[in-house]
Amino acid sequence: MALKTILVIDDDIDLVEVIRVTLENQGFAVIDAQSGERGIDLAKSSDPDLIILDVMLGKVDEGFQVAYQLRAEEATRDIPILMLTAVADQTGFGFDPSRDGEFLPVNEFLEKPVSPRALVDVVRKHLPTSV
Amino acid sequence: MRLRLDWFNKLRWGAALGVLVLVLVFGVVLKAPIEIRGLLLTGAALLLLNTVYVLRSLRVPAEDINSELRVMKVQMVGDLVVLTILLSLSGGIENPLLYIYVIHVMIASLLFKGRQIFQIAWLAIFLFTAEVALEHYGVLPHHHLPTAREASHGLPFILLTLGSFWLVLFFCAYVGALIMRHNRAIKDELVARQGALMKADRGKTDFFRFVNHEIKSPVTTAQSAVETALELDGGAMSAQAQDLLRRAVGRLEKATLIVNNLAQLTRGGDLKPGELRDVDLNELVTAAVDDQRDLAAAAGVTIETILPDPPLVLVTSRTMMETIIANLVGNAVRYNRQGGRVSVRLVDAGRHIRLVVEDDGIGVAEEDQAMIFGEFYRTRAAQELSDLGTGLGLPIVRKFVDNLGGRIELESAPDQGSTFTVVLPRRFGRGRLR
Repeated sequence: MALKTILVIDDDIDLVEVIRVTLENQGFAVIDAQSGERGIDLAKSSDPDLIILDVMLGKVDEGFQVAYQLRAEEATRDIPILMLTAVADQTGFGFDPSRDGEFLPVNEFLEKPVSPRALVDVVRKHLPTSV
Repeated sequence: MRLRLDWFNKLRWGAALGVLVLVLVFGVVLKAPIEIRGLLLTGAALLLLNTVYVLRSLRVPAEDINSELRVMKVQMVGDLVVLTILLSLSGGIENPLLYIYVIHVMIASLLFKGRQIFQIAWLAIFLFTAEVALEHYGVLPHHHLPTAREASHGLPFILLTLGSFWLVLFFCAYVGALIMRHNRAIKDELVARQGALMKADRGKTDFFRFVNHEIKSPVTTAQSAVETALELDGGAMSAQAQDLLRRAVGRLEKATLIVNNLAQLTRGGDLKPGELRDVDLNELVTAAVDDQRDLAAAAGVTIETILPDPPLVLVTSRTMMETIIANLVGNAVRYNRQGGRVSVRLVDAGRHIRLVVEDDGIGVAEEDQAMIFGEFYRTRAAQELSDLGTGLGLPIVRKFVDNLGGRIELESAPDQGSTFTVVLPRRFGRGRLR
């Protein structure tokens, strides 16, 4: 069975590396992009099984824009998206999926810092047929 | 205050010279039948009095504001008495210069405040009414002032009346302009100060935003990196190396907590439109207590909740209420004693609701009670008991309670436990939305 591929879109290369090491050790393939634009291209060309997207890329809310674009494109519409946030610094509050979910086209929010175990758990949760 | 006194003295020079000039013009030049001698003596007495006042002002250094006010009050009473004598010698109620009392009351309103102004007004009323009454009943002699009806002296009377009219009008305009200029200066200063405060507040917010972006990212990434390393190869490391890395994770967790708390304190205060909605407070209390169960069990602390039935639903900010309840319940567990007890009660008190969080932990000394709501303040007892606190939990609670239109009360004594009571209005004014 082919490895499940996870696309990480984040401009913090150290965090990308942490996520890569964590997920590769659990048998996932990891590809990454350091900008929203490159992330969208890669999502279309590589057809990943799941996308981990940082809310803060170059600009404050660039992650949201990327998420909307991924949902708007036919090719990437159904790929689960996990959004990494440090939202307390943006709004003073965490997101509440029961309240915000209908407006925000992502499957789950992960507040930083994300522990390796929690990351693997939530990735598996959104890839029900994965290893 | 001394400046006002000097201003008052200058006015009096004008008044005394005015009296002497008027008496000389009317009595000597126009040969009007007036009480020249008495009037000149009174004018001279006023000049003499003012010389004494000015000399005192030059010789005696300014003391406290109250003694200066007393001096001014005595001078004002003296002036009213002199004015009454002058009027009594020049026709009493016939004399159009009686409106100079108005000027005195206006001066009093500039120099004094509140009741003192009315005391001067009442004194003026009393003095002139007494003078008129005493003349009327023949106790005081009446010094007739030639009036307009007496044709030969028509012009002097007209001039006197017009002069009095002009004087009072110009003085009113002068005082009004003075007050308005003063008010405008105060307003300009207030606006400038408010601008400076707002700028400082923006600077503070920008600073914390910077701290958040530039510090939180590296800290959380470092924490994830160390945790991942431990997860991957922890078993292969020596126990000492593992312990050091776990300590590093602990410190990074605390740094993250501080940054998150700072964010709540600086950015989380503003309510946003749409944030107010029906919130089931029973549910929030239950969730906050569940979150603390493990920590409480480890410390042998029992938590009881007393919740209203049906559940208490309030139109409020869910996120702010979650933070308020979580911080208070968390503190009650953390700053408790082994085997202690925490009680969380929700009370529907009609127009208000009360959230009461009671513990029998270390308590807060009276001198610390106001301080613990200040940023970064932690009591010595709290520091000894736990190094997890950031000193920001209660300031956040107070800020949020304030934003929701409520208040927080604390009853506590060292080693006697603490009771924090949050009182929130049932109807929250939407006008508070920013």
